[in-house]
Amino acid sequence: MAMSLALLIAYALFLLPDKESAIPVWFYSSISFFIVLILAYSGSILADREKPEALKMGVAFMLIAVLGWLFHRYSGAQWHRLADFFFNWEKLEGNWWILWEGLGVTLFLAFISGIGSVVVGLLIAVLRTLNSPTMNFFLKVYVDVFRSIPMIVVMVIFFFAMPFMGISLGSIVSTVLALSLGYGAYASECFRAGIESVHSGQLEAARSLGLSRWKTIYKIILPQAIPVVIPPLTGTLVAMLKDTAVASVVAAPELLKRARELYTSETNPTPLVAAALIYLAVLIPLVRAVNMLENRMQKKRNE
Amino acid sequence: MSNMNLPETMIEVVDLHKRFKDLHVLKGISTVVKHSEVVAVMGPSGSGKSTFLRCLNRLEEPTSGRIYIEGVDIMAPYIDINRVRTEIGMVFQSFNLFPHLTAIENIKLAPMNVRKISNKEATERGMALLEKVGLAEKATAYPEQLSGGQQQRVAIARALAMQPQIMFFDEPTSALDPEMIGEVLDVMRNMAKEGMTMMVVSHEMGFIREAADRILFLADGLIVEDGTPDQIFNHSKHKRTIEFLGKIL
Ligand SMILES: Nc1ncnc2c1ncn2[C@@H]1O[C@H](COP(=O)(O)OP(=O)(O)OP(=O)(O)O)[C@@H](O)[C@H]1O
Ligand SMILES: [Mg+2]
Repeated sequence: MAMSLALLIAYALFLLPDKESAIPVWFYSSISFFIVLILAYSGSILADREKPEALKMGVAFMLIAVLGWLFHRYSGAQWHRLADFFFNWEKLEGNWWILWEGLGVTLFLAFISGIGSVVVGLLIAVLRTLNSPTMNFFLKVYVDVFRSIPMIVVMVIFFFAMPFMGISLGSIVSTVLALSLGYGAYASECFRAGIESVHSGQLEAARSLGLSRWKTIYKIILPQAIPVVIPPLTGTLVAMLKDTAVASVVAAPELLKRARELYTSETNPTPLVAAALIYLAVLIPLVRAVNMLENRMQKKRNE
Repeated sequence: MSNMNLPETMIEVVDLHKRFKDLHVLKGISTVVKHSEVVAVMGPSGSGKSTFLRCLNRLEEPTSGRIYIEGVDIMAPYIDINRVRTEIGMVFQSFNLFPHLTAIENIKLAPMNVRKISNKEATERGMALLEKVGLAEKATAYPEQLSGGQQQRVAIARALAMQPQIMFFDEPTSALDPEMIGEVLDVMRNMAKEGMTMMVVSHEMGFIREAADRILFLADGLIVEDGTPDQIFNHSKHKRTIEFLGKIL
Protein backbone atom coordinates (compact mmCIF):
# COMPACT_ATOMS: atom_id res chain seq x y z
CA MET A 1 0.00 0.00 0.00
CA ALA A 2 2.65 2.47 1.09
CA MET A 3 4.90 1.18 -1.63
CA SER A 4 2.35 1.78 -4.34
CA LEU A 5 1.73 5.29 -2.99
CA ALA A 6 5.45 6.02 -3.09
CA LEU A 7 5.68 4.69 -6.65
CA LEU A 8 2.73 6.82 -7.68
CA ILE A 9 4.33 9.93 -6.23
CA ALA A 10 7.67 9.16 -7.79
CA TYR A 11 6.06 8.65 -11.16
CA ALA A 12 4.12 11.90 -10.89
CA LEU A 13 7.20 13.85 -9.89
CA PHE A 14 9.12 12.30 -12.74
CA LEU A 15 6.50 13.46 -15.20
CA LEU A 16 6.44 16.99 -13.79
CA PRO A 17 7.63 19.50 -16.35
CA ASP A 18 10.08 22.31 -15.74
CA LYS A 19 8.65 25.62 -14.75
CA GLU A 20 9.70 27.39 -17.90
CA SER A 21 8.90 24.78 -20.47
CA ALA A 22 5.73 25.10 -22.49
CA ILE A 23 3.19 22.56 -21.40
CA PRO A 24 0.35 21.11 -23.37
CA VAL A 25 -3.06 21.17 -21.77
CA TRP A 26 -3.46 17.39 -21.76
CA PHE A 27 -0.39 17.23 -19.60
CA TYR A 28 -1.86 19.56 -17.01
CA SER A 29 -4.98 17.54 -16.79
CA SER A 30 -3.15 14.25 -16.39
CA ILE A 31 -0.82 15.68 -13.77
CA SER A 32 -3.78 17.09 -11.83
CA PHE A 33 -5.30 13.66 -12.05
CA PHE A 34 -2.18 12.19 -10.47
CA ILE A 35 -2.16 14.77 -7.73
CA VAL A 36 -5.80 14.17 -6.94
CA LEU A 37 -5.07 10.46 -6.87
CA ILE A 38 -2.14 10.93 -4.51
CA LEU A 39 -4.18 13.14 -2.20
CA ALA A 40 -7.09 10.73 -2.18
CA TYR A 41 -4.82 7.78 -1.60
CA SER A 42 -2.85 9.31 1.26
CA GLY A 43 -6.08 10.72 2.69
CA SER A 44 -7.57 7.26 2.82
CA ILE A 45 -4.46 5.95 4.59
CA LEU A 46 -4.42 8.80 7.12
CA ALA A 47 -8.12 8.41 7.88
CA ASP A 48 -7.91 4.64 8.35
CA ARG A 49 -8.01 3.74 12.04
CA GLU A 50 -6.59 0.30 11.37
CA LYS A 51 -3.36 1.48 9.76
CA PRO A 52 -0.27 1.65 11.98
CA GLU A 53 0.76 5.11 13.20
CA ALA A 54 4.27 4.68 11.82
CA LEU A 55 2.85 4.31 8.32
CA LYS A 56 0.66 7.39 8.76
CA MET A 57 3.67 9.35 9.97
CA GLY A 58 5.59 8.30 6.87
CA VAL A 59 2.74 9.22 4.55
CA ALA A 60 2.31 12.60 6.25
CA PHE A 61 6.00 13.43 5.88
CA MET A 62 5.94 12.24 2.30
CA LEU A 63 3.03 14.55 1.53
CA ILE A 64 4.78 17.49 3.17
CA ALA A 65 7.90 16.73 1.15
CA VAL A 66 5.95 16.54 -2.09
CA LEU A 67 4.14 19.78 -1.43
CA GLY A 68 7.41 21.45 -0.43
CA TRP A 69 9.02 20.21 -3.58
CA LEU A 70 6.16 21.47 -5.72
CA PHE A 71 6.40 24.85 -3.99
CA HIS A 72 10.13 24.93 -4.55
CA ARG A 73 9.74 24.09 -8.19
CA TYR A 74 6.95 26.48 -9.13
CA SER A 75 6.84 29.35 -6.63
CA GLY A 76 9.93 31.10 -7.87
CA ALA A 77 11.35 31.29 -4.33
CA GLN A 78 14.92 32.46 -4.40
CA TRP A 79 16.45 30.21 -1.80
CA HIS A 80 20.02 31.41 -2.29
CA ARG A 81 19.17 35.01 -1.67
CA LEU A 82 17.04 34.03 1.28
CA ALA A 83 19.91 32.06 2.77
CA ASP A 84 22.40 34.86 2.09
CA PHE A 85 20.15 37.33 3.74
CA PHE A 86 18.59 35.56 6.70
CA PHE A 87 21.11 32.85 7.44
CA ASN A 88 24.32 34.74 6.94
CA TRP A 89 26.11 33.34 9.98
CA GLU A 90 29.32 35.20 9.10
CA LYS A 91 27.60 38.38 10.18
CA LEU A 92 27.41 36.96 13.68
CA GLU A 93 31.05 36.05 13.96
CA GLY A 94 32.49 37.82 16.98
CA ASN A 95 29.01 39.05 17.87
CA TRP A 96 27.59 35.96 19.57
CA TRP A 97 28.59 37.27 22.99
CA ILE A 98 26.17 40.16 22.49
CA LEU A 99 23.31 37.70 22.06
CA TRP A 100 24.46 35.65 25.07
CA GLU A 101 24.56 38.82 27.13
CA GLY A 102 21.05 39.60 25.93
CA LEU A 103 19.92 36.11 26.88
CA GLY A 104 21.44 36.64 30.32
CA VAL A 105 19.41 39.82 30.79
CA THR A 106 16.28 38.09 29.51
CA LEU A 107 16.68 35.23 31.99
CA PHE A 108 17.46 37.69 34.79
CA LEU A 109 14.33 39.73 34.00
CA ALA A 110 12.24 36.57 33.84
CA PHE A 111 13.64 35.28 37.13
CA ILE A 112 13.07 38.46 39.13
CA SER A 113 9.68 39.13 37.55
CA GLY A 114 8.79 35.48 38.07
CA ILE A 115 9.37 35.83 41.81
CA GLY A 116 7.53 39.15 41.70
CA SER A 117 4.47 37.76 39.98
CA VAL A 118 4.30 34.72 42.27
CA VAL A 119 4.40 37.01 45.30
CA VAL A 120 1.78 39.37 43.83
CA GLY A 121 -0.41 36.46 42.71
CA LEU A 122 -0.24 34.65 46.02
CA LEU A 123 -0.95 37.84 47.94
CA ILE A 124 -4.03 38.61 45.85
CA ALA A 125 -5.33 35.05 46.04
CA VAL A 126 -4.86 34.89 49.82
CA LEU A 127 -6.49 38.29 50.31
CA ARG A 128 -9.43 37.07 48.28
CA THR A 129 -9.98 34.18 50.67
CA LEU A 130 -10.84 36.75 53.34
CA ASN A 131 -14.08 37.28 51.41
CA SER A 132 -14.30 40.98 52.10
CA PRO A 133 -16.61 42.37 49.41
CA THR A 134 -14.90 45.77 49.33
CA MET A 135 -11.41 44.34 49.04
CA ASN A 136 -12.55 41.76 46.50
CA PHE A 137 -13.98 44.55 44.37
CA PHE A 138 -10.63 46.32 44.17
CA LEU A 139 -8.68 43.10 43.69
CA LYS A 140 -11.00 42.09 40.85
CA VAL A 141 -10.58 45.49 39.21
CA TYR A 142 -6.82 45.12 39.48
CA VAL A 143 -6.77 41.60 38.05
CA ASP A 144 -9.16 42.42 35.21
CA VAL A 145 -7.35 45.61 34.26
CA PHE A 146 -3.95 43.99 34.14
CA ARG A 147 -5.24 40.99 32.26
CA SER A 148 -6.82 43.29 29.67
CA ILE A 149 -3.99 45.73 28.96
CA PRO A 150 -1.26 44.56 26.61
CA MET A 151 2.02 44.15 28.48
CA ILE A 152 3.71 46.58 26.12
CA VAL A 153 1.35 49.38 27.18
CA VAL A 154 2.05 48.79 30.85
CA MET A 155 5.78 48.93 30.22
CA VAL A 156 5.51 52.08 28.19
CA ILE A 157 3.46 53.71 30.93
CA PHE A 158 6.00 52.81 33.59
CA PHE A 159 8.94 53.86 31.46
CA PHE A 160 7.71 56.94 29.60
CA ALA A 161 4.79 58.27 31.64
CA MET A 162 6.00 57.89 35.20
CA PRO A 163 8.88 60.35 34.72
CA PHE A 164 6.22 63.06 34.18
CA MET A 165 5.03 62.35 37.70
CA GLY A 166 8.54 62.74 38.98
CA ILE A 167 9.20 59.02 39.18
CA SER A 168 12.00 57.86 36.95
CA LEU A 169 12.32 54.14 36.71
CA GLY A 170 15.07 52.62 34.63
CA SER A 171 14.19 50.26 31.83
CA ILE A 172 15.01 47.21 33.94
CA VAL A 173 12.90 48.34 36.90
CA SER A 174 10.01 49.32 34.63
CA THR A 175 10.10 45.93 32.99
CA VAL A 176 10.27 43.99 36.26
CA LEU A 177 7.45 46.07 37.73
CA ALA A 178 5.26 45.75 34.67
CA LEU A 179 5.82 42.01 34.33
CA SER A 180 5.39 41.35 38.05
CA LEU A 181 2.16 43.32 38.30
CA GLY A 182 0.80 42.06 34.99
CA TYR A 183 1.67 38.42 35.37
CA GLY A 184 0.88 38.65 39.08
CA ALA A 185 -2.71 39.14 37.95
CA TYR A 186 -2.54 35.94 35.88
CA ALA A 187 -0.73 34.10 38.67
CA SER A 188 -3.42 35.13 41.15
CA GLU A 189 -6.01 33.39 39.00
CA CYS A 190 -3.90 30.21 39.03
CA PHE A 191 -3.62 30.38 42.82
CA ARG A 192 -7.29 31.14 43.21
CA ALA A 193 -8.26 28.10 41.16
CA GLY A 194 -5.93 25.99 43.30
CA ILE A 195 -7.30 27.35 46.55
CA GLU A 196 -10.87 26.82 45.38
CA SER A 197 -10.04 23.23 44.50
CA VAL A 198 -9.50 22.51 48.19
CA HIS A 199 -12.67 20.97 49.58
CA SER A 200 -14.67 23.24 51.89
CA GLY A 201 -14.73 20.47 54.50
CA GLN A 202 -11.00 20.99 54.96
CA LEU A 203 -11.61 24.56 55.98
CA GLU A 204 -14.36 23.53 58.38
CA ALA A 205 -12.20 20.87 59.99
CA ALA A 206 -9.37 23.38 60.43
CA ARG A 207 -11.68 26.01 61.88
CA SER A 208 -13.37 23.56 64.22
CA LEU A 209 -9.95 22.70 65.63
CA GLY A 210 -9.39 26.35 66.48
CA LEU A 211 -6.70 27.00 63.88
CA SER A 212 -6.30 30.67 63.09
CA ARG A 213 -7.05 31.96 59.60
CA TRP A 214 -3.38 32.26 58.66
CA LYS A 215 -2.44 28.88 60.08
CA THR A 216 -5.34 27.39 58.11
CA ILE A 217 -4.11 28.95 54.88
CA TYR A 218 -0.49 28.09 55.54
CA LYS A 219 -0.86 24.57 56.97
CA ILE A 220 -3.99 23.25 55.30
CA ILE A 221 -4.97 25.14 52.16
CA LEU A 222 -1.68 25.98 50.48
CA PRO A 223 -0.12 22.50 50.84
CA GLN A 224 -3.15 21.09 49.04
CA ALA A 225 -3.47 23.92 46.53
CA ILE A 226 0.18 24.13 45.44
CA PRO A 227 0.31 20.82 43.52
CA VAL A 228 -2.80 21.91 41.65
CA VAL A 229 -1.34 25.36 41.02
CA ILE A 230 2.10 24.33 39.78
CA PRO A 231 1.24 23.32 36.18
CA PRO A 232 -0.82 26.40 35.21
CA LEU A 233 1.53 28.66 37.15
CA THR A 234 4.55 27.29 35.33
CA GLY A 235 2.70 27.87 32.07
CA THR A 236 2.06 31.47 33.06
CA LEU A 237 5.71 31.98 33.96
CA VAL A 238 6.84 30.53 30.63
CA ALA A 239 4.52 32.96 28.86
CA MET A 240 6.10 35.70 30.94
CA LEU A 241 9.59 34.64 29.91
CA LYS A 242 8.46 34.97 26.30
CA ASP A 243 6.96 38.36 27.03
CA THR A 244 10.25 39.74 28.33
CA ALA A 245 10.90 40.42 24.64
CA VAL A 246 8.44 43.28 24.94
CA ALA A 247 10.96 45.01 27.18
CA SER A 248 12.95 45.89 24.08
CA VAL A 249 10.55 48.78 23.47
CA VAL A 250 11.71 50.42 26.68
CA ALA A 251 15.30 49.64 25.71
CA ALA A 252 16.00 47.03 28.33
CA PRO A 253 19.10 45.30 26.97
CA GLU A 254 17.52 41.84 26.71
CA LEU A 255 17.90 39.31 23.93
CA LEU A 256 15.57 40.82 21.34
CA LYS A 257 16.89 44.34 21.92
CA ARG A 258 20.50 43.22 21.51
CA ALA A 259 19.57 41.26 18.39
CA ARG A 260 17.92 44.34 16.95
CA GLU A 261 21.02 46.39 17.66
CA LEU A 262 23.06 43.87 15.70
CA TYR A 263 20.45 43.87 12.95
CA THR A 264 20.95 47.63 12.60
CA SER A 265 24.73 47.67 12.85
CA GLU A 266 25.21 44.70 10.49
CA THR A 267 22.30 45.70 8.22
CA ASN A 268 21.36 42.05 8.14
CA PRO A 269 18.47 40.20 9.83
CA THR A 270 20.46 37.06 10.68
CA PRO A 271 20.84 38.16 14.34
CA LEU A 272 17.04 38.22 14.60
CA VAL A 273 16.88 34.70 13.24
CA ALA A 274 19.54 33.68 15.74
CA ALA A 275 17.53 35.29 18.55
CA ALA A 276 14.44 33.41 17.42
CA LEU A 277 16.38 30.16 17.51
CA ILE A 278 17.70 30.95 20.99
CA TYR A 279 14.15 31.66 22.22
CA LEU A 280 13.08 28.35 20.74
CA ALA A 281 15.94 26.47 22.33
CA VAL A 282 15.12 27.91 25.76
CA LEU A 283 11.33 27.77 25.58
CA ILE A 284 10.64 24.44 23.90
CA PRO A 285 12.04 22.39 26.81
CA LEU A 286 10.10 24.58 29.25
CA VAL A 287 6.88 24.23 27.29
CA ARG A 288 7.40 20.45 27.19
CA ALA A 289 8.04 20.44 30.94
CA VAL A 290 4.79 22.32 31.59
CA ASN A 291 2.99 19.80 29.45
CA MET A 292 4.45 16.93 31.43
CA LEU A 293 3.46 18.54 34.71
CA GLU A 294 -0.08 18.98 33.44
CA ASN A 295 -0.29 15.37 32.32
CA ARG A 296 1.02 14.12 35.63
CA MET A 297 -1.54 16.25 37.45
CA GLN A 298 -4.29 14.93 35.21
CA LYS A 299 -3.23 11.34 35.92
CA LYS A 300 -3.23 11.98 39.65
CA ARG A 301 -6.70 13.44 39.45
CA ASN A 302 -7.95 10.41 37.55
CA GLU A 303 -6.55 7.96 40.08
CA MET B 1 -17.71 10.84 86.53
CA SER B 2 -18.39 14.02 88.42
CA ASN B 3 -15.86 16.76 88.71
CA MET B 4 -16.34 19.61 91.13
CA ASN B 5 -14.33 22.06 89.04
CA LEU B 6 -16.45 21.70 85.95
CA PRO B 7 -19.60 23.75 85.57
CA GLU B 8 -22.74 21.70 85.63
CA THR B 9 -24.14 23.38 82.52
CA MET B 10 -21.88 22.89 79.51
CA ILE B 11 -24.02 24.42 76.77
CA GLU B 12 -26.89 26.83 77.05
CA VAL B 13 -28.75 28.01 73.98
CA VAL B 14 -31.33 30.77 74.19
CA ASP B 15 -33.70 31.56 71.33
CA LEU B 16 -31.24 30.74 68.55
CA HIS B 17 -32.24 31.90 65.06
CA LYS B 18 -30.46 31.34 61.80
CA ARG B 19 -31.49 32.67 58.41
CA PHE B 20 -29.83 32.06 55.05
CA LYS B 21 -31.11 35.08 53.13
CA ASP B 22 -34.85 34.30 52.85
CA LEU B 23 -34.61 30.82 54.33
CA HIS B 24 -35.44 30.76 58.03
CA VAL B 25 -33.67 27.56 59.11
CA LEU B 26 -33.59 27.84 62.91
CA LYS B 27 -36.63 29.53 64.38
CA GLY B 28 -35.81 29.97 68.05
CA ILE B 29 -34.03 27.05 69.62
CA SER B 30 -33.47 26.96 73.37
CA THR B 31 -31.95 24.11 75.34
CA VAL B 32 -29.42 23.23 77.99
CA VAL B 33 -26.83 20.46 77.86
CA LYS B 34 -25.34 19.36 81.16
CA HIS B 35 -21.91 18.02 81.89
CA SER B 36 -21.39 14.42 80.71
CA GLU B 37 -24.74 14.43 78.98
CA VAL B 38 -25.09 12.68 75.64
CA VAL B 39 -27.70 14.42 73.51
CA ALA B 40 -28.86 12.94 70.25
CA VAL B 41 -30.27 15.33 67.66
CA MET B 42 -32.75 13.79 65.27
CA GLY B 43 -35.11 15.08 62.65
CA PRO B 44 -35.95 14.96 58.98
CA SER B 45 -33.50 16.08 56.32
CA GLY B 46 -33.34 19.85 56.03
CA SER B 47 -34.76 20.41 59.52
CA GLY B 48 -31.60 22.29 60.50
CA LYS B 49 -29.68 19.71 62.56
CA SER B 50 -26.32 20.46 61.00
CA THR B 51 -26.96 24.17 61.05
CA PHE B 52 -27.81 23.95 64.75
CA LEU B 53 -24.54 22.22 65.66
CA ARG B 54 -22.50 24.50 63.39
CA CYS B 55 -23.98 27.58 65.03
CA LEU B 56 -22.85 26.35 68.45
CA ASN B 57 -19.17 26.79 67.57
CA ARG B 58 -19.91 29.54 65.09
CA LEU B 59 -18.79 27.68 62.01
CA GLU B 60 -22.08 29.22 60.93
CA GLU B 61 -22.81 32.73 62.18
CA PRO B 62 -26.11 32.71 64.14
CA THR B 63 -28.56 35.42 63.11
CA SER B 64 -29.68 36.05 66.69
CA GLY B 65 -29.87 34.41 70.09
CA ARG B 66 -27.45 33.69 72.90
CA ILE B 67 -25.05 30.77 73.22
CA TYR B 68 -23.09 29.99 76.37
CA ILE B 69 -20.33 27.39 76.27
CA GLU B 70 -19.17 26.53 79.79
CA GLY B 71 -20.73 29.77 80.91
CA VAL B 72 -18.93 31.90 78.32
CA ASP B 73 -21.13 34.00 76.06
CA ILE B 74 -19.67 33.14 72.67
CA MET B 75 -21.78 35.75 70.91
CA ALA B 76 -20.05 38.52 72.84
CA PRO B 77 -18.37 41.02 70.53
CA TYR B 78 -14.70 40.45 71.32
CA ILE B 79 -14.75 36.76 72.10
CA ASP B 80 -11.81 34.76 70.77
CA ILE B 81 -13.83 32.19 68.87
CA ASN B 82 -10.78 30.05 68.13
CA ARG B 83 -10.32 29.53 71.87
CA VAL B 84 -13.94 28.47 72.20
CA ARG B 85 -13.56 26.06 69.29
CA THR B 86 -10.67 24.30 70.99
CA GLU B 87 -13.16 23.36 73.71
CA ILE B 88 -15.48 21.67 71.21
CA GLY B 89 -14.27 18.76 69.11
CA MET B 90 -16.17 18.27 65.90
CA VAL B 91 -16.55 15.13 63.79
CA PHE B 92 -18.03 15.38 60.30
CA GLN B 93 -19.96 13.04 58.09
CA SER B 94 -17.24 13.20 55.43
CA PHE B 95 -14.34 12.79 57.91
CA ASN B 96 -12.46 15.80 56.48
CA LEU B 97 -9.05 14.46 57.37
CA PHE B 98 -6.20 16.52 55.91
CA PRO B 99 -5.16 14.41 52.90
CA HIS B 100 -1.60 15.74 52.74
CA LEU B 101 -0.84 14.62 56.30
CA THR B 102 -0.47 11.17 57.85
CA ALA B 103 -2.83 10.00 60.57
CA ILE B 104 -0.51 11.04 63.37
CA GLU B 105 0.29 14.36 61.67
CA ASN B 106 -3.43 15.04 61.35
CA ILE B 107 -3.75 14.51 65.07
CA LYS B 108 -0.67 16.53 66.04
CA LEU B 109 -1.38 19.56 63.87
CA ALA B 110 -3.79 21.46 66.10
CA PRO B 111 -2.13 20.68 69.46
CA MET B 112 1.21 21.88 68.10
CA ASN B 113 -0.07 24.94 66.25
CA VAL B 114 -2.83 26.07 68.57
CA ARG B 115 -1.85 24.73 71.99
CA LYS B 116 1.84 25.15 71.13
CA ILE B 117 2.90 21.91 72.74
CA SER B 118 6.14 20.26 71.65
CA ASN B 119 6.38 17.76 68.82
CA LYS B 120 7.49 15.05 71.26
CA GLU B 121 4.58 15.55 73.61
CA ALA B 122 2.10 15.86 70.75
CA THR B 123 3.40 12.62 69.24
CA GLU B 124 3.09 10.79 72.56
CA ARG B 125 -0.44 12.03 73.12
CA GLY B 126 -1.36 11.39 69.51
CA MET B 127 -0.13 7.81 69.70
CA ALA B 128 -2.09 7.26 72.90
CA LEU B 129 -5.22 8.48 71.14
CA LEU B 130 -4.60 6.27 68.12
CA GLU B 131 -4.20 3.40 70.55
CA LYS B 132 -7.53 4.31 72.07
CA VAL B 133 -9.35 4.22 68.72
CA GLY B 134 -7.50 1.02 67.83
CA LEU B 135 -5.32 2.39 65.04
CA ALA B 136 -1.84 2.63 66.54
CA GLU B 137 -0.36 0.64 63.65
CA LYS B 138 -1.81 3.13 61.11
CA ALA B 139 -0.01 6.17 62.51
CA THR B 140 2.01 6.84 59.37
CA ALA B 141 -0.73 5.99 56.88
CA TYR B 142 -2.22 8.74 54.74
CA PRO B 143 -6.01 9.14 54.80
CA GLU B 144 -6.38 7.70 51.29
CA GLN B 145 -4.77 4.48 52.56
CA LEU B 146 -7.43 4.08 55.27
CA SER B 147 -10.94 2.70 55.09
CA GLY B 148 -13.86 4.98 55.84
CA GLY B 149 -14.27 3.63 59.34
CA GLN B 150 -10.57 4.02 60.03
CA GLN B 151 -10.60 7.58 58.70
CA GLN B 152 -13.51 8.47 60.94
CA ARG B 153 -11.74 7.02 63.97
CA VAL B 154 -8.63 9.07 63.15
CA ALA B 155 -10.89 12.09 62.81
CA ILE B 156 -12.26 11.41 66.28
CA ALA B 157 -8.73 11.06 67.66
CA ARG B 158 -7.82 14.35 65.96
CA ALA B 159 -10.71 16.11 67.64
CA LEU B 160 -9.86 14.54 71.00
CA ALA B 161 -6.24 15.65 70.73
CA MET B 162 -7.28 19.19 71.63
CA GLN B 163 -8.67 17.77 74.87
CA PRO B 164 -12.08 19.34 74.31
CA GLN B 165 -14.76 19.41 76.98
CA ILE B 166 -17.51 18.82 74.43
CA MET B 167 -17.74 16.69 71.29
CA PHE B 168 -20.07 17.32 68.34
CA PHE B 169 -20.81 14.57 65.83
CA ASP B 170 -22.68 15.40 62.62
CA GLU B 171 -23.88 12.11 61.15
CA PRO B 172 -20.55 10.42 61.83
CA THR B 173 -21.59 7.07 60.36
CA SER B 174 -23.81 8.07 57.43
CA ALA B 175 -20.98 7.92 54.90
CA LEU B 176 -19.77 4.53 56.10
CA ASP B 177 -20.35 1.04 54.75
CA PRO B 178 -22.53 -0.92 57.20
CA GLU B 179 -19.71 -3.18 58.38
CA MET B 180 -17.69 -0.14 59.51
CA ILE B 181 -20.40 1.63 61.45
CA GLY B 182 -19.89 -0.55 64.52
CA GLU B 183 -16.23 0.29 65.01
CA VAL B 184 -16.97 4.02 65.01
CA LEU B 185 -19.98 3.68 67.31
CA ASP B 186 -17.86 1.61 69.71
CA VAL B 187 -15.38 4.47 70.04
CA MET B 188 -18.23 6.90 70.63
CA ARG B 189 -19.83 4.62 73.20
CA ASN B 190 -16.58 4.50 75.14
CA MET B 191 -16.31 8.26 75.09
CA ALA B 192 -19.82 8.53 76.45
CA LYS B 193 -18.94 6.08 79.25
CA GLU B 194 -15.89 8.16 80.15
CA GLY B 195 -18.13 11.13 80.73
CA MET B 196 -17.64 13.22 77.63
CA THR B 197 -20.36 15.77 76.94
CA MET B 198 -21.64 14.91 73.48
CA MET B 199 -24.12 16.18 70.92
CA VAL B 200 -24.70 13.64 68.18
CA VAL B 201 -26.71 14.09 65.01
CA SER B 202 -27.45 10.50 64.10
CA HIS B 203 -30.16 8.09 63.19
CA GLU B 204 -28.45 5.03 64.63
CA MET B 205 -31.32 3.91 66.83
CA GLY B 206 -29.38 1.21 68.64
CA PHE B 207 -26.60 3.55 69.61
CA ILE B 208 -28.98 6.31 70.65
CA ARG B 209 -31.15 4.01 72.73
CA GLU B 210 -28.10 2.73 74.53
CA ALA B 211 -25.84 5.75 74.85
CA ALA B 212 -28.00 8.86 74.67
CA ASP B 213 -29.46 10.49 77.75
CA ARG B 214 -31.78 12.69 75.73
CA ILE B 215 -33.07 13.16 72.26
CA LEU B 216 -33.83 16.54 70.71
CA PHE B 217 -36.25 16.08 67.87
CA LEU B 218 -36.00 18.91 65.35
CA ALA B 219 -38.50 19.71 62.66
CA ASP B 220 -38.81 22.89 60.61
CA GLY B 221 -36.19 24.69 62.68
CA LEU B 222 -37.79 24.06 66.05
CA ILE B 223 -37.33 21.51 68.81
CA VAL B 224 -40.66 19.70 68.63
CA GLU B 225 -39.76 17.14 71.26
CA ASP B 226 -37.15 16.79 73.97
CA GLY B 227 -37.00 13.63 76.04
CA THR B 228 -35.29 10.36 76.89
CA PRO B 229 -34.90 7.76 74.15
CA ASP B 230 -37.63 5.68 75.79
CA GLN B 231 -40.07 8.62 75.84
CA ILE B 232 -39.39 9.52 72.23
CA PHE B 233 -39.12 6.08 70.70
CA ASN B 234 -41.91 4.39 72.60
CA HIS B 235 -44.28 7.00 73.93
CA SER B 236 -44.14 9.94 71.53
CA LYS B 237 -47.40 11.82 71.09
CA HIS B 238 -46.12 14.06 68.30
CA LYS B 239 -47.32 13.44 64.81
CA ARG B 240 -44.02 14.61 63.22
CA THR B 241 -41.93 12.39 65.45
CA ILE B 242 -44.04 9.28 64.98
CA GLU B 243 -44.13 9.83 61.26
CA PHE B 244 -40.35 10.25 61.08
CA LEU B 245 -39.56 7.29 63.31
CA GLY B 246 -41.91 5.18 61.24
CA LYS B 247 -39.85 6.03 58.19
CA ILE B 248 -36.40 5.27 59.56
CA LEU B 249 -37.26 2.10 61.46
N1 LIG C 1 -24.73 27.72 53.67
C1 LIG C 1 -26.05 27.63 53.39
N2 LIG C 1 -26.63 28.53 52.57
C2 LIG C 1 -27.95 28.46 52.29
N3 LIG C 1 -28.78 27.53 52.77
C3 LIG C 1 -28.26 26.60 53.59
C4 LIG C 1 -26.86 26.59 53.94
N4 LIG C 1 -26.63 25.56 54.77
C5 LIG C 1 -27.81 24.93 54.92
N5 LIG C 1 -28.79 25.55 54.24
C6 LIG C 1 -30.22 25.16 54.20
O1 LIG C 1 -30.69 25.12 55.51
C7 LIG C 1 -31.59 24.05 55.67
C8 LIG C 1 -31.13 23.17 56.83
O2 LIG C 1 -29.91 22.54 56.47
P1 LIG C 1 -29.15 21.55 57.43
O3 LIG C 1 -27.96 21.08 56.69
O4 LIG C 1 -28.94 22.20 58.74
O5 LIG C 1 -30.21 20.38 57.57
P2 LIG C 1 -30.02 18.96 58.24
O6 LIG C 1 -31.11 18.81 59.21
O7 LIG C 1 -28.62 18.81 58.73
O8 LIG C 1 -30.29 18.01 57.01
P3 LIG C 1 -29.57 16.64 56.63
O9 LIG C 1 -30.22 15.56 57.44
O10 LIG C 1 -29.87 16.50 55.17
O11 LIG C 1 -28.12 16.79 56.92
C9 LIG C 1 -31.63 23.31 54.35
O12 LIG C 1 -32.80 23.70 53.67
C10 LIG C 1 -30.41 23.78 53.64
O13 LIG C 1 -30.65 23.82 52.25
MG1 LIG D 1 -26.91 17.66 58.12
